[in-house]
Amino acid sequence: MEFPKIMNNCCVEVDYRQKNCGKQRIGGDVFLSRKLKEQRRVISVLSDGLGSGVKAGVLATLTSVMGLNYMNSFRDPAKAARSIMDTLPVCSERHISYSTFSLVDVDFENEVRIVEYDNPPVLVARGADIIGLGRLQVQVTRTDKEPVAISVADFQAQPGDRIIMISDGVSQSGIGSKPLPFGWGVEKTGNFIKEQIEKKSDISACELATAIVEKAWLNNGGHALDDITCGVIYFRQPRQLLIMTGPPYDQKKDRLLAELVNSFPGRKIICGGTTANIVARETGREVHVMLGKIDPDLPPDSIMDGIDLITEGILTVGRVARYLEDRRTPETLNLNPATKIFRMLLNSDIINFVVGTRINEFHQDPNMPVELEIRRNVIKKIAALLEDAYLKETSIQYI
Amino acid sequence: MSKKFKITICSGTACYVMGGAQLMMLEDLIPAEFRDQVEIVGSNCLQACRDSSNGQPPFVRINDYLMESASIARIVDYLRKH
Repeated sequence: MEFPKIMNNCCVEVDYRQKNCGKQRIGGDVFLSRKLKEQRRVISVLSDGLGSGVKAGVLATLTSVMGLNYMNSFRDPAKAARSIMDTLPVCSERHISYSTFSLVDVDFENEVRIVEYDNPPVLVARGADIIGLGRLQVQVTRTDKEPVAISVADFQAQPGDRIIMISDGVSQSGIGSKPLPFGWGVEKTGNFIKEQIEKKSDISACELATAIVEKAWLNNGGHALDDITCGVIYFRQPRQLLIMTGPPYDQKKDRLLAELVNSFPGRKIICGGTTANIVARETGREVHVMLGKIDPDLPPDSIMDGIDLITEGILTVGRVARYLEDRRTPETLNLNPATKIFRMLLNSDIINFVVGTRINEFHQDPNMPVELEIRRNVIKKIAALLEDAYLKETSIQYI
Repeated sequence: MSKKFKITICSGTACYVMGGAQLMMLEDLIPAEFRDQVEIVGSNCLQACRDSSNGQPPFVRINDYLMESASIARIVDYLRKH
């Protein structure tokens, strides 16, 4: 028995951070990202609408949603750009329709296409170095209006690459101040990115985006003079998680169960007292139940060397399924064994389930005060939810 | 000095839903007279529900004695008698 080979030794992590201009409650920058599972593509758009506040928000939303959909169905950047520009409503004060955008389209082989219109240039960091892109200018002819130029760049991403999209709120931050009379600029932003990656080589998309936005905000002396947005796309080794639940149908396979846990190259969760006992027995380790902090709803978790989390089985797993189904956010939930699993699921890219199919007959006793579902069915449901709603890769193996 | 009683509470699924959840609070509810005499630990499963001759969950082990249908009252009762 083996875990499925990872098809792509690189997965794409996308995240962004944003601060709105002044006290505006609605941002004039919009960052959108979508994974197209069948095509294994990820498309991200950062759009900056003219001005700030609601009106800019509407322009930017229109632009980014159209950008996503056009790239998805046509892939011709000039066509997408023309349609967007022709559709944008004209501002009543300035008598122009205007919204800038950067579009990044990553396909299943990590071929990247970057389409840009008037935004600060998208930065690509390979390791800590910012690399140059061969940009091609493409004319976009428009109905009744002057043609404009967009830039298109294609490149092959490598594991460890990061693509950083910034709005002009970042590149122009600090403008007019003594240390940065002409603003932070793209070059200095690039240097800052380099420093951040040198400091922490595996800095996540979210952490890097946060660092850049915070720095831009500080450049302004703790204000956002324009909407400040940064989106980061990070090509990294996928994070793997193992969830093992249930004793093997055939007791002879107990040894195999323990070997599977030991050999797994990622984080490990065991759900089920008997399962944990089997692993403990086979590996000569000890399990300790944490009686200290107890959630009244769920049995407590336990600890064992080499395992990241050990919980009770079916009640806890059932609760996790409910959290996933209700699209809860872990931060808003009480910390209990189920929320710990929930959090680890969301932080992983590939989730492998190993499900033992032996049934504890007592669980089927009709006198039980609660109905206990069959483990196999609950795991199937969790895996389907993770695939469909959370865009994770999953595998289930029965033992 | 080792304690007189070592109480192991099963927190497996069957025990938990059959009333074991209340047993988790034993440490807080145990009468003061016994507080110095007991060591309370949890177990993720005592495997006692596998054999119906053991009786009904929840199960608690007190030293070598396996108590079926355990409750805080029954545990305290047992401690008083021994």
